[in-house]
This record gives sequence, C-alpha cells and structure tokens, in this order.
Amino acid sequence: MTSFHINGRLVMVDAEDDMPLLWAIRDAIGLTGTKFGCGIGMCGACTVHVGGRPTRSCVTPLASVAGAEVTTIEGLEGKHPLQTAWADHQVPQCGYCQSGQIMQAASLIKDFPAPTDEDIDAVMAGNLCRCMAYVRIRNAIKQAATQARKVAADE
Amino acid sequence: MSKLKNQSTLSRRAFLIGSAGTAIAFGFAQTGAIADETSPFEPTIWYSIDRSGIVTVNITRAEMGQHIGTALARILADELEVNWRNIRLSAVDTDPKWGIMVTGGSRSVSDDFPVYSRAGAAGRIALIEAGAKLLGSSPSRCFARHGAVFAANRSISYGEIVRRGGPARKFMPNELAELPIKLASERRLIGQKADALDIPAKINGTARYGIDASVSGMVYARPKIPPTRNDSVVRSVDDSAARQVKGYLTSLVLEDPSNTVPGWVVVCATSYPAAIRAADLVKVDWTSGSATEVSEQNILDHGATQIASSSGGALVVDDPGVDTAFEAAGSVLERTYTTGSVLHAQLEPVNALALEKDGRFEIHTGSQWQSLVLPVLADALRLPQERIVMRTYPMGGGFGRRLNGDYAVPAALASKALGRPVKLVLTRPDDMRFDSFRSPSIQTLRLAFDAQGKVTAMEHHASAGWPSAIVAPAIMRKTRDGTPYDQDAIDGADHWYNVGAQRVRALSNTLANSAFRPGYLRSVGPGWTNWAVETFMDEAARMAQVDPVTFRVELLDGAGRNAGTAPNAIGGAKRQAAVLKRAAEKAGWGTVMPKDTGLGVATTFGQEREMPTWGACVARVHVDRSSGAIAVEKLTIVVDAGTIVHPDGALAQVEGGALWGLSMALHEGTEFVKGQVKDTNFDSYTPLRIGDVPDLDIEFINSIEAPVGLGEPATTVVAPAIGNAIFAATGIRLRHLPIRPAAVLAALASQR
Amino acid sequence: MFKKLVFAVVALGSLGLAGFGLLAWQPAIAPVAPPATVSFAPELVAKGEALAGGGYCAACHTRKGGERFAGGYAMETPFGVIYSTNITPDPETGIGTWSEAAFARAMQKGVSRDGSHLLPVFSYDHFTKLSDDDVRALYAYFMTRAPVPTERQPNGIPFPFNIRYLQAGWKLLYFRAGRFEPDVSKSSEWNRGAYLAQGLSHCGACHTPRNLLGAEKSGNAYGGSVIDNWVAPPLTAANPAPTPWTQEELYDYLRTGASKVHGTAAGPMFPVVQGLGALPDSDIRALATYFADVDKAADRLPYVSGAVSLAMSSTLAKEGAPSDPDARLYIAACASCHYNATNAPLAARPDLSLNSAVHLADPNNLVQVILRGISAKEGMPGVVMPAFGSALSDADVVRIAAYLRRTRTDLPPWPDLAAKIAAIRRQYDAAK
Ligand code: FES
Ligand code: FES
Repeated sequence: MTSFHINGRLVMVDAEDDMPLLWAIRDAIGLTGTKFGCGIGMCGACTVHVGGRPTRSCVTPLASVAGAEVTTIEGLEGKHPLQTAWADHQVPQCGYCQSGQIMQAASLIKDFPAPTDEDIDAVMAGNLCRCMAYVRIRNAIKQAATQARKVAADE
Repeated sequence: MSKLKNQSTLSRRAFLIGSAGTAIAFGFAQTGAIADETSPFEPTIWYSIDRSGIVTVNITRAEMGQHIGTALARILADELEVNWRNIRLSAVDTDPKWGIMVTGGSRSVSDDFPVYSRAGAAGRIALIEAGAKLLGSSPSRCFARHGAVFAANRSISYGEIVRRGGPARKFMPNELAELPIKLASERRLIGQKADALDIPAKINGTARYGIDASVSGMVYARPKIPPTRNDSVVRSVDDSAARQVKGYLTSLVLEDPSNTVPGWVVVCATSYPAAIRAADLVKVDWTSGSATEVSEQNILDHGATQIASSSGGALVVDDPGVDTAFEAAGSVLERTYTTGSVLHAQLEPVNALALEKDGRFEIHTGSQWQSLVLPVLADALRLPQERIVMRTYPMGGGFGRRLNGDYAVPAALASKALGRPVKLVLTRPDDMRFDSFRSPSIQTLRLAFDAQGKVTAMEHHASAGWPSAIVAPAIMRKTRDGTPYDQDAIDGADHWYNVGAQRVRALSNTLANSAFRPGYLRSVGPGWTNWAVETFMDEAARMAQVDPVTFRVELLDGAGRNAGTAPNAIGGAKRQAAVLKRAAEKAGWGTVMPKDTGLGVATTFGQEREMPTWGACVARVHVDRSSGAIAVEKLTIVVDAGTIVHPDGALAQVEGGALWGLSMALHEGTEFVKGQVKDTNFDSYTPLRIGDVPDLDIEFINSIEAPVGLGEPATTVVAPAIGNAIFAATGIRLRHLPIRPAAVLAALASQR
Repeated sequence: MFKKLVFAVVALGSLGLAGFGLLAWQPAIAPVAPPATVSFAPELVAKGEALAGGGYCAACHTRKGGERFAGGYAMETPFGVIYSTNITPDPETGIGTWSEAAFARAMQKGVSRDGSHLLPVFSYDHFTKLSDDDVRALYAYFMTRAPVPTERQPNGIPFPFNIRYLQAGWKLLYFRAGRFEPDVSKSSEWNRGAYLAQGLSHCGACHTPRNLLGAEKSGNAYGGSVIDNWVAPPLTAANPAPTPWTQEELYDYLRTGASKVHGTAAGPMFPVVQGLGALPDSDIRALATYFADVDKAADRLPYVSGAVSLAMSSTLAKEGAPSDPDARLYIAACASCHYNATNAPLAARPDLSLNSAVHLADPNNLVQVILRGISAKEGMPGVVMPAFGSALSDADVVRIAAYLRRTRTDLPPWPDLAAKIAAIRRQYDAAK
C-alpha cells in the first residue's frame, strides 16, 4: 500500500512496490491523460510532476513516491500558460505525446524563464513527438515563457 | 479478405469514391419523414441540425493527428452557411450505412470534398425553401448566411426552421450529384484559419484513445510475440514462473481461424503491469517459420535477382520503343538504390479492447481501415460481420500502421476464449516486433541519352514487399495484360517527367512477403521510389552537365500523358515544374555555399498520378568530414495541393511529413535479422528529436483546383533532396537509405 | 554494505589461536529486571533519541518492514547471513534484562551481556569514544521503547567462523578502548564534529578503507572504500569531485540530503542523513566544519568558480544535435532533468559534470543510482529520480556511464565498466 497525493487529493494504491507509477495513475486511479509510449524512459509520454519536478512515471517505482505530491496533466486544469500557448499554436497532431510535452515544458520555463533554443533542445529532447510537431512545441514554449515573464513582472 | 473479392477491380481510391456514391444515393432517408417537435433535421447521413441550430457532422475518417473532422466539417459548414461555433463532430462507429471506412492514402479531403460540399449545399437549399415559406417569401428572394435564412429585412434561424417542423424537400440521387457548389470566391470558411476541434482535449488530458478504453470486469492482456510473424506454431507453454505474479490469470494459446496471429500466446492478468511481468516469465516453445533463416540482405539480394531477370513482375508502364531507344542510345546511366526497413513506431502502441455484449462483439480500438479488418474479425470469431461493431477512437499516431487492424484479432479471440472483456495492449517492444513495417526495397533505374544528350528512354525496376498482396489483394490494380500489382508499392515510379519511352516494372519481393507482413508506412512506395527517381535525376543532370533544376524543369514539359486530367491532376507536370522553380527561387538556388555545405533539390507528386500533390524541396546540408555527421540546416518546401481547406492543419501535415522524411533519411531505419526487426525500443530506434529539427520554410501555392492529399506527400521529397545536397557539398553519392555517418565516411574515404 | 567487514572478521577465525581463550574471556553481567520507564528522566530520554538518530541505530537494527529497533536486518556475507539484534527492551529476545553497565560495556568494549564478544559489524571501535553521559542517554532511550518480542534468527555463519571468542584476537590487534580526546588546537565546533564523526556517527566504518583483517587503516582515515557495490567516497582532499566539499556543501548535504553540486544522499548514505535529522543544526554544522577541514576545502576555495565553469563548459549546449549515438541516448534518457544552461547549476538539476559519482574511481554509485533511482524520501525531499533498472539494458547503462565519464571529466575511462554493471545488476535483481 503506497499513499501519496495526486492533483491535491490523497490516494492509497494497493500494489507492488515496484509497479511503475504510470499504471497506478492510469489504471488504479483512472487518470488516463498520462500516456504509455515506451516504458523505458525514452519517450516522455508518461511525464508527470513529482514534487514539482517532471518525472517519467513509467520508470518510477510506486514505492518511491510514497508521501510525495504528484501532478498530472489533469491537475493543470487546462489553465497553465503552456496550455494556452499550445492552443494558440495548434501544437498537437495526434496529441498522444502532448501531456508529457506540456508537463516537461512546465519545468523548462520554470527553470529557464527565457529559454534559448539550446535550453529547449536539451530539456525537451527526452520527449518524442512521433507526429513531429516540434516546430510548434518550440514556438509555444517561447510564447508561454514570455507570458509567464510578463505575469511575473506585473506581480 | 474474401469479402473484398467482389470489389477486386477497385483500388484503395475507388473504394472511397464508392463510399461517397453510396452516401449520396442513400443519404436522404429521413427527409420524407414528418419531423416531430424534437427530431433534428437530418438532410443526409452526414449531419443533423437540432432545434437550437447545432450541426453535428458525422465523420467516418479516423482522427490520427490530421484534424480531419475539422477539415471535413468546414467543407460542409461553408456550403451549409452555418456559423463555425455551431459545429460539433461525431466520430462514428462502424455501420454498413457508412460504406467503406478507411483513412489512408492521404485521400480523406480529396475524396470527401464533393460529398460534404454537396451534402451541405443540399441542406442549405432545403432550409432556404422551408425558410422562405415560413417568412412568406420565395426561395429565389432568400439567401442563407450564419445559420439563418434571410428574406429582405427578415430572417429565420435554422434552429427555428427545425423547431417549426423542418424542411421536407427531397433530392433524387441524380439531382444531388449535380448540385452546384459555391464558387471558390464565395467561400467563407474553406481556406480560412480555424482552430481544430480535436485539439483542446489533446491539451488537457481528456482525449480518450484506444489505450484509454475500459469497461468494468475487463482483464488485461499482453501477448508473447512468436519468433516469426508467419507460420509460428506453439509447441508448449510453461507458466509456472508466471504464477508467482500477483494478479496473473492465465496464458491462452490462440486458435485463430483467420490466421492473423499464428503462434500467439496471450497472457492475462488483473492489471496491465502484472500482465507485462507475467508475460516476461511465461516460457513458450515454438516451432518457428522459415523466416528465422531470413535477414535484410537476403531480401535485398532476392530483389536484385528479380531485377536482373528480364521476366517476372508487373509492367505498370510499358511504352513501345524502350528497348530500341536503349540500343540506339549514345550513353546510358544505370544506378541501383536501396532502402532499409522502417518501423512505424507510432507513439501509442497498438491495442484493442474486445467484449461480447448481447450477442455482439464490440471492438474498442483506433483503426484506419475498419472495412478491412471487420471481415477478418468475422473469420476469426466465426461470426457474421453484422454481429461485430468497432467503436471509434482517435489514434496516438497512424502513419499506416493501423491500416492493418491485425491487433484487434488477438483481443477478440482472447475475449471469446475467456468469456470476459479483454484489453490487449502491446508493450513497445511487442509493438515493434509485431509491426507491419516498411519493407526494404531495391530499385534499378536506367536512362538513355541520344547522341545529342537528349533523354530518350527510361526504365525503372523496383522490388519490395507488397503490403496489399498480404492484407488486401482485392484492391490491387492490374496491368493491361492482367498482371496484378500493388500500386502502393510502385506509385511514384510512374513520374511526370517526359523521358521518351518509359518502362516501370513492379516486382513483389516474395521473400519479404513471406518473412514478415510488409506494411503501409506513411506514403508507402513513394517513400522509396522517389528516393530512387530523384537521386537518379540528379545523377542524370550531373552526367548531362546540366543544372539539376533546369534538367528537371525541361523534362516536366507537360506533354502527352503528363498534361494532366480532371478532376485532380489538371495542369499536370507544369504544376510540378512551377513548385520546383518556386522552391529553387526561395532557397537561393545557385548561390555559393560555404565549405562542405550544399543545396540539394528534389520534386515529387505525392502519392499517385490520379491525385498528385505537387511538391518540391531544397535541402541545405552541412557535412562534417571528420565524423560523417550530416547537419540538415534548412528545408525549403513548396507544395501545390490545390484548394487548401484548413490551412493550419495543412501546414502541420507538411511540417510533420517533411520531418518524417528527414527522420527516415538520417535517424530511423532498422534491420530485419533472422525473422525479427533488430530494434525494439527508442533506446536504439531513434526517430528525430526536437534538437534535430532544421529551419523549415514551407509555402503553399495559392490554388482553387481540387483539393488533394497532404498527410504523406511531404515525406517523399526530403530524403532525395538531402542526398543530393550531400553530393553538392562533398561530391559523394549515397544510394542507400537511411544515410549513416559511417556510409558518409566510407564514401569520403573512397573518394580520395 | 558490511560484507567486506564481515569477511575480514571471519577470516580471522582461521587464526585459531586457542591461547586467546583465557585472555578473551569476559564475565556475564547478571540480568536485571527491566527498569521502569518512569525511572528515566524525560530529558535524558530525549537526548538519547537524538543520539540514536545521529548514530542511525535504526538503520541496522530494523529489518525491512519490521518494528523499529527489533533487529532481524539481514546483512549478506559470503559466509552466510548475519542478522542484527533486537535492541528493544524485550526481556527474552531484546536487551530488557541488560543493566546500564552491560549496555555500556557493549558500546565501549564490544562485549555482550553474556560475556561473548560482539562482531565488529557493530561499530564498537567507534562507539568506545562516546562519553559516559551519552551512553547513559542512549540506554535511557532504548530502555523506554516498547518491547518487541522477535523470533531469534540464528546467524548463518558456519563453524569455525562463528566462534565468538576468536574475536578477542581481532580486538587485541586493532581495538583500543577509550573515550574521545579533544584536540585543543582546534575550535570547539571542530571538536564536536570530530566527536560525532569518530564516535557516534562512525563515519570511518564506511569511509575508511580496511585492511585484510577488516580493521580500518588508521593511516588512511576517510580514504574511501567500496562496500557491497557502493562507493563510500574519500572524505579527504583525495575526493575527485571537481569542486571541494566545503563546509556549506557538507552542511546542505548532511542536513537536506542533497548538495547542489555534488549530488544526493542515496543508497547506504540515505539512512545516515535520515538519522542525522535527529541532531540539531549545530551538530550538523560541527560535522561539516570537521570534514571541511579533513578535505582541506579552504585550500581549494579560490578555484571553485573556475572549476564550475570548466566542468560545465562540457555540457550539452555545446554539443548541438549530436550524431554520436551515445550522446543521443544520454539526452533522451537523462538530459531533460540534468541539463543546466549557465555557470550556476540549479539545485533541482543535479549537474553531472560536477557530480561526485561521475568523478569517483569506481562507477558504482552512478550505476546504482541509474538502476535504483532515488525515492521521494531520499535526497531532495519529495523529488524522485526514476529507476532505470527495469528499463535500460546493461549495454545501455554502459553507454551512458562511459559517455558521461568521457564528456564530463578529464579522468580515464572506468575499467571493467561492463563487469561492474553486471555485478550491480545481479545485486539489484536479487533484491527484487
Ligand atoms: S512511456 Fe515513459 S518515457 Fe516512454
Ligand atoms: S502529436 Fe502525435 S506524437 Fe506528438
């Protein structure tokens, strides 16, 4: 039994300690916005936040998040500046990678408020987009970062 | 497959036209009925309008990233004259009333444009007539706009018309077929920017793909993939170790009358991670098929032997005088090109949820060709097709993988065997090993020049695995002498260059066909035929000492059969020459490049001669002579796809397609080794990532010609442009895809 | 982690010097009735609790999923398994009948109540330095825990290695009983740190290399060693990290479990940091002061910023879109979290060009962490590093480790990398 918070809600999952967090989120908790792509940490489709840091849930053992705060795409409630930018730039094609892209990008603009192309290339390199919506991902990240900087400056 | 036999003369394309015809003929079933207070107006099967004026558009094409519903609905809404915000999409489940359900060949917009625009026009006319009556006016003095009918200074909304009983107008099929559609200049939605309706759910995590489907009481399953795709037989199963896994239920040896998944064992558990773990522990002893003796080189060697033999194959183009021209030639250029195996690697691994309910089987899965897999499922389950329904889900990538719906069969069989709903999900390695991947190919091209250096004849011999021969022989075309061939594996070789007498011979690589199940992969044949044709044209231009753009433009003269025909190919080769010239101009063709940097050009026509999407690409490439690394700095692409319905969606398709082309040119590619693909996950199979993306400059030609395809064409033009740019940068000529640094280094070494 | 230790100890058994018999004999101390909880002052118990944390007693005296201090923690050795003892005051299976004198003798002399010698997996060679007051506080703390009866698990050490009195020979050679002696030339903070490090927290037990008979090499204190496929890195100037472990970094590391340049406390170091949590900040600062002196951080301070930029200049940004397949593997799997853009690495993005694990002489810690990951409890609280053990093949791990070594350090490649990874993999698989 592992308990942790997900999107602000306390959950207890009765499963083996080494079960990947991904399946707890998708099948036990029923939040299917987090996707399964490769299972080995190489595509980023399963990226969620643990303790505010992007984490590939397919290679994260359930026990290791005991007591932690997990946030999934559903937890952003569609209100994150990245989600607005994603809509403005019409980023998704099939959309399957996009939850992971957004969760990953969220840390990118937090850590690098004015990301360069190099920053984007390095941080987003772990997130495959098989539809290759990369041009739009890059543009949307830049828009969201600019927006976030504006908000920060106004505050 | 047997169910398709009666349609054996139809191509993949003709299917779609057939389905459109069906719709027009039977689409007005409801108009005669008296609408009661609550029933919506359903002028055709393609949409309905409810009492508040909301228009629900039925979409039979599968959503896999192309925002197809948005494009089709805009065609309809434009003719229907409704406000875009009142449009809703409905992705329909399988039902015979939809006709053939398939999404492939980049055909959706092209084929459905007439259907949805006439359906929209019919509804508009009917509503104007009904509205005019309600307004006490005459139809000729009314017009429709923004979901309402206007007469002089009064108007009535469509919703109101529906509330008041709706139109009662009937159209005969012949009337409908002849309905005029709006002039391009009157269009209000087509060609305008619009947000895709499927996108919001793909940003907030609510989009539900096949892998997200669930029903209560379902069992999770993962297969054990047999050693060979064909002819594997299970000798024994030992699940003693798996029984230690909490949640493990059973391992089923599938009995498959349809022979879709020979030698499959499906491991069932109460959770998917338990199924993954248990499947790792289940030991299966197989008798494998002969493919364990086959590797990539054997397939290419087999193809080379086929090409070397003058007999065999299908003569897709066979002009008189080819042999004479070669005998009389002043000089001849002959080159051989090869391409390696390519995996689909769509990000959502294939999966299906199957259950039996009230005597019917429900299959929940993403599919690109429901009409192909339904009869297979019927065979497998020994049920009539009417007792099977496929529920529709958007796909986490199609790219042709899901044209072959084979993954639905094991889920259905397992569910039948267990008597419970079964959700079968393939892990990434399972998915890759079970892929219907793009066959390796080998092609030999010959060109005859006369003494004056004029091109007088061309031959193109291509051998590859034929997807249609395996999964859909019924759609194969026939040559004039009746030899069937897979047009999907040879399209592109029948190009629009005027090369004098031309011969195109398509060879079915039987070794590939038996060793695995060749698949349709984004553009299929044109992915390799254009690699050969466009590299070859570059080599020919160099041999003729003519600039590669000039050389091509001169051959794209639009003479004879290359003049182009209605409806889709009006303008023919001239339009191809136009995109080529425009791309060269935009890219600064002819300017001096820095050291080891070069521009390369290629031009293709997308998928097939009957629906050409004219494209040209100039690649700017830098070659690092010490590592052999190729940096693609910029791709300039110009596309003429006729009318562009949804410009941003069109651009996204070209962006994605071009990057796919680049990815397959440099980053992807696996190898078939003793019955299996070598790479089974993204640690060693390495599609393009964000840091590999070059500058993209993409332009569409402004056109009001018929809309053609956009999903695949851009993939076909990039690899040869890169190869040609490498030549321009370094003088080395590479004739195999993918291009690896090792090959660059080897070629550079032998150059010295 | 105590494998090496035990190996040496049992090797000693082969000395078989029966003459020690007499010398080695220690009397039993008579059992007492378990003292009542109320007989201990609450302040004393509280002090003992902090000390028990600082000595992270629970780490060894609690088995996975078991009651705290009830023992049964299995320590694998080549000669069999040794189980730690129950130190709750259960009269039958714990230390309920131990008098304070018996407890003190165990701590300071390594002798059990019944007179038998304790195996030096129990670090009495360090605990002997504890002051009598601290021992008293620890006794008070343990005797006021709830007694937990346990099944006694016989240790799996076969004859003749199990003959306890042979341990006396080892003691004769290597053990000097005696309390901590302050160094008057140093500050009181330094001395406090030294007292904790040498006594209670027994840092040398892991970080000081041992001789063939398992005793710490006194000439090479804190020189680093490899225990059970983990590296206990050198705590001296010999530590190969590109920047020194300063007082500040040490403090952050020991207090929070993570240093922003050096890395995260994982594996066997995690329970240490967890235990130290019971000690006040002043004690952690004292430990940091002591070790910053041991590693001569001050001498290297002027070079820190240069070292940081030098190390970080080798990061990804310079590499662009790499064609090297190893680089591609690394950026796909690791760079999203470990990339840093500037010369000021972010704490939340452990920079592997500075990280100790990449610079150590052995790849073990890097490999361990790649395979096992870091849980939310370890290191930075609430943050997780995924476990790639079930995801990446050994060949992939070899490629990533070698790539980091090649691109992030000027050090020679790790020898026997594949074999070491295979060994760690076996250990990882066995633990599953
Ligand atoms: S599914 Fe987790 S990284 Fe691919
Ligand atoms: S949008 Fe399809 S994988 Fe990224």
